[in-house]
Amino acid sequence: MVPIELPWNPFNQLDPAPCIKIVIANADETIMAGRAIGFEYPTPHEITALIDTGSPFTIVNRVHALNRMLAQTGAGTEIRTLGGKAKCGEHSGTISFPGTGLKRIETLRILSRDFEDERYYSCLIGRDVIRHWKITFDGHSKRVTITD
Amino acid sequence: MAPTAEFEAELKVFERYRREWSDAHPGEYVVIQDGVVLEGFFQEYAEAFKAGLKRFGVRRPFLVKQVWITEPVYFVA
Repeated sequence: MVPIELPWNPFNQLDPAPCIKIVIANADETIMAGRAIGFEYPTPHEITALIDTGSPFTIVNRVHALNRMLAQTGAGTEIRTLGGKAKCGEHSGTISFPGTGLKRIETLRILSRDFEDERYYSCLIGRDVIRHWKITFDGHSKRVTITD
Repeated sequence: MAPTAEFEAELKVFERYRREWSDAHPGEYVVIQDGVVLEGFFQEYAEAFKAGLKRFGVRRPFLVKQVWITEPVYFVA
């Protein structure tokens, strides 16, 4: 497996963490079951995700979760951030990493919440995904390397 | 839409059994739709979701809930 490399300058305030392009969609079984009864699902849409070792879960913008028609499996999950507490929706979905060679993560619990005033990314990739990877950061070259 | 607007019936069922389930199956997952509780507990979320999908389909959402005696609050930095 060829490692992927992402640029990250931890000293740049506008570069809070390494980012990666992802596609979040329903699991194949969900789509098959839905299509069998006439549901239509939107085509996959690439978004930018920030790799966040400080988050136990992957959290996506609530609007994106609704637009992608992610199967909802819960509500009211509470998270605490420096800004206070927030309640999140819960969904089931898959995450793939187009153009990287990283394996798709199947049937993951994905939280959703409002991403207020966040222009640069629509998702936090949490430790539930990171646990599948080996990640290193080279401070000299300011590059993050990921293999799975 | 408020995130708590859904699963009211399922969460009531969950609350009714929370203590009993958390004694016997802490950290495992349970699947509920309306008043129907899917038989069995699941070690992994993915297992629980697939079982729920098989039983309830996709017409209406079903709850997949991890069993704890108190609701955890997850810290996101």
